[in-house]
Amino acid sequence: MAINLTRRKFLQSATCAAAAIPFARMAKAEDNFVRKPYVAPGSFAGTKSVTGGICGMCFWRCQLVGKVRDGKLIKLEGNPKSIDNGKSICARGNAGIKLLYDPDRLKYPMKNIGKRGAPVWKRISWEEALDECASRMNAIIDEYDETALSIFPHGSSAKYPMEFFEYVVGTPNNSEASFFQCRGARDMAYLNTIGAPADEDVDMPNAKAIFMLGTHLGENVHVSHLKKYLKGLENGAKLIVVDPRFSSSAAKADIWVQIKPGTDTAFLVAIMNYLVKEEKYDEDYVDFYGYGFEEFVEGISHATLDWAAKICDVPAKQIKQVADLLAENAPNVSIHPGRHTSWSGNDFQRERGLACLTALLGTIGVKGGFVKPVNPKVGRCGWPRLVNPHEDSLHYLAHKYPYSPPGTPTDLIRETALSGDPYPIKGMIVWGQNPMQTIPDQQLTIKMIEKMDFVMVCDVMPTDITMYADILLPETCYLERYDYVKKGTQWDYSQPHQQYISARVPLVSPTAADHERKDSVWITNELAKRMDYEEEIPVKTSKEMVENILAGAGLSLKQLEQEDGIHIQPGQDPYDVQYDVSFYNSSVAEAGFPGAPTYLPCPQPPKGHARLIYGRVPVHSFNRTQNNAWLYNEIPRNPVWINDEVATTMGLKDGDEISLVNEVGIESASSSILKTTPGIRKDVIYTSHGYGSRNPQLSIGVNAGIDDNALISARTIDPETGTHGMRNSFVRIIKQGKILDIPA
Amino acid sequence: MSQYAMVIDLEKCVGCHACAIACRAEWEVPVGKDSEGREQHRCWVQRLGPAKTPHGLSYTYYPGLCNHCDEPSCVAACPYDLETRTFVDPVTGKKVTMEVSATWKDPFDGTVQINKEVCWGCGACADACPYGARYVNEEGEDPKADKCTFCVERLAVGKEPACVQTCLAGARIFGDLSDPDSEVSKYVKKGAVGLESSAVKIGPNVLYFGNKRDMSLLKSTCTPLTMPVADINTRRLLMGRLAKSSFKGLKNFALIGMVGGLMIENASDKDSEE
Repeated sequence: MAINLTRRKFLQSATCAAAAIPFARMAKAEDNFVRKPYVAPGSFAGTKSVTGGICGMCFWRCQLVGKVRDGKLIKLEGNPKSIDNGKSICARGNAGIKLLYDPDRLKYPMKNIGKRGAPVWKRISWEEALDECASRMNAIIDEYDETALSIFPHGSSAKYPMEFFEYVVGTPNNSEASFFQCRGARDMAYLNTIGAPADEDVDMPNAKAIFMLGTHLGENVHVSHLKKYLKGLENGAKLIVVDPRFSSSAAKADIWVQIKPGTDTAFLVAIMNYLVKEEKYDEDYVDFYGYGFEEFVEGISHATLDWAAKICDVPAKQIKQVADLLAENAPNVSIHPGRHTSWSGNDFQRERGLACLTALLGTIGVKGGFVKPVNPKVGRCGWPRLVNPHEDSLHYLAHKYPYSPPGTPTDLIRETALSGDPYPIKGMIVWGQNPMQTIPDQQLTIKMIEKMDFVMVCDVMPTDITMYADILLPETCYLERYDYVKKGTQWDYSQPHQQYISARVPLVSPTAADHERKDSVWITNELAKRMDYEEEIPVKTSKEMVENILAGAGLSLKQLEQEDGIHIQPGQDPYDVQYDVSFYNSSVAEAGFPGAPTYLPCPQPPKGHARLIYGRVPVHSFNRTQNNAWLYNEIPRNPVWINDEVATTMGLKDGDEISLVNEVGIESASSSILKTTPGIRKDVIYTSHGYGSRNPQLSIGVNAGIDDNALISARTIDPETGTHGMRNSFVRIIKQGKILDIPA
Repeated sequence: MSQYAMVIDLEKCVGCHACAIACRAEWEVPVGKDSEGREQHRCWVQRLGPAKTPHGLSYTYYPGLCNHCDEPSCVAACPYDLETRTFVDPVTGKKVTMEVSATWKDPFDGTVQINKEVCWGCGACADACPYGARYVNEEGEDPKADKCTFCVERLAVGKEPACVQTCLAGARIFGDLSDPDSEVSKYVKKGAVGLESSAVKIGPNVLYFGNKRDMSLLKSTCTPLTMPVADINTRRLLMGRLAKSSFKGLKNFALIGMVGGLMIENASDKDSEE
């Protein structure tokens, strides 16, 4: 402070006052010139509020209000009328305008006159682009048949083209990342245990205990889901988090189980065996709704606490502590099903375990338990189901993966494209997905692409897959188009039951002089016309599609607009719905898999390597957001977590610039910074997904951080579902060009 | 007099960074660093840990913003001419007349504000802040110091601060510390504290509440330990000013000469004072 005072005194001295006067005069003298000191007026000043937006920065789809000034969207906020996200949106939602106005966005249809992977782009007209896409796909169908096409869709805008290619054109080769690299094993396991997909339908606000396996809420952000979780914690729920890493959720947990990755099913079956042996389970629920309980008990009887302790590398007493805490608080316990569950290639069994534990504790249809919301009904609008292509699905023909989620397991598509057996796959349509940074084993994906006669990609931003397109089509973004009807209920079931229906409508006009982007309904229809399916086109515009869906609920866009973007109506009590439970599933057993949830070991790291696990940062949705200027600025690169003691042994320090190399010698194309922490197991390296794009068209995101997916080259596949196990790759660290072994 | 304040409840905060981005959108805050290397932000989230603390492992966050301090070092550092300014309490209509420079502490709500009309953008205030809460916005034709205003502009039209509005966790609690029944006052009674050290005691009005381990990590890593030596960089002050003006017309050249002369005079004065 002394110096400040001196300075102040100094400035107020006579000499300085003399200096200040010319300054003031100078400012006056400059009045003749137009001066623009930039002062942001605030989003509320001179703006118009537009409602009806549905966020598309991730797939939770919060309801938005846009603030528009002079035709430009300047801010996004949660729609205060929302009973889902309310006035809140997350970092990504707030950064939506930086996607909307990202100068790197795809603007015009482009033709690749270079090579796939090393493109040279030539701007072409929509007419030329659509003609070429249709004629080349027609040529593939003529030479082979419809099964020679494959589609890789993601997101709500991809649904309309996906249905066209699947049920009108008739290709079964549909690999949805949201199933095969994410939730597929979970929902198929729950379907085959309690007869319903899991989603994330646990009543956390009203739970006395919350049990999470790997789920790192906080690093993974879905607004209303986090509200449920935080309300539960606020209401005093005990939190158990099982994770090799001290995650954002582990940091709030009462019990953190630092489990060895890949062994979760052993942990679960030991808990269940203990609960059964100690008679700490819900006998009434099991007697009334359970099937195959005796075989189940027999199937898990080997799983003692000590057995699991050894496998999971956690103390037996901690497993007992978890089991007792769950039993004490049953039935008001949320057994969280997880979301991204394609971990280890034994994921169906683990998710079956979670579903069985849910039922064993009788925590179905009760406060705090597994409770499905009663959602409002809306109409359906889409392509007619002319054909069912799935009798030609590769997994049916191969008699593999009987519990595959809808579509075809990704690896069968890749293998078939390479082998031509049982049929050739020669066309690839990618819509909103980035298979290069989604599907393990990039080299194999590139080989598949090389086999294609034609690759068409449609997206909003350049991504790593757009570099492989023959024709690249630019799509309008979620703030400029109609496409999705969002419905649901209030998130806390202790509140009055309400349902909501809202629709994604444009918050700003998609038309502008500097681009020619179109929405997916228009693009698909134009392709359909050129592929001789004009008669089947169900709607002329995306707006008409949304109107038709709303009409099924007796609503219209006009009415929604009058209701500030969200229609709210009385809801129904979601409690007291029970499900029959297949503890032992004889169909699964007949198909050749364990009928009771069973721990199947996954591959172990070779010497000097640690298992690479990955998660998320709250500012990115996979790689979709990596070029967003605001989000990039928050966490520019993905820190690589390593146990601090291991780092010391290796001579590494926090903040070191490093890259990674995996067990087959694949090096990360870019580097990142090391984070040394006691909050991770010694046999694990962690980083977050959504970094390290290699597309030079991304002026911000290119080479920022490490692409974890490039290092995941081991192709472990869940035998029941065909979904990928993505945590069976192992890495070493490279510092200053030197490869360093990791002592486990 | 009121004293507006914000409490960050780290028990609730999930570190999602929404506050930082909502603020950036609301006030069009540029990304990256200003030309003096200051982080350009009004509101930020720093991720802390996982790290050991005497109370156990912690993985928490430092959601930072201007502390609207009781004795703001930034205000004392502003070299702009003192001007007489009359402040009117919007509630009572009471008037207070004070001598203020381009930044001051409001006599009615206790917030620290900047007059962007007159600010020179010299950055002295930013350099004087021990919390790094200020930067110089160089987006417009004239650089201007910028920082969190507690969104008094939004409050004036009945809205919450942008960061508070978007917070999904309800972890940001805004209110008046002079009101003992306010939520922020209740948090103070529960133990919410500002980030202060023996050398930096200027009365921050952004307060943090959390469990022992999180507070331990936050305090040990994010408390400023020294008051910045905000060297009065007269040269930068004048040259920055003149460089911006010099493109605008020949008639300024005379002024450059004049002020340049004074600058040398000032610099020698300053040397003699030190």
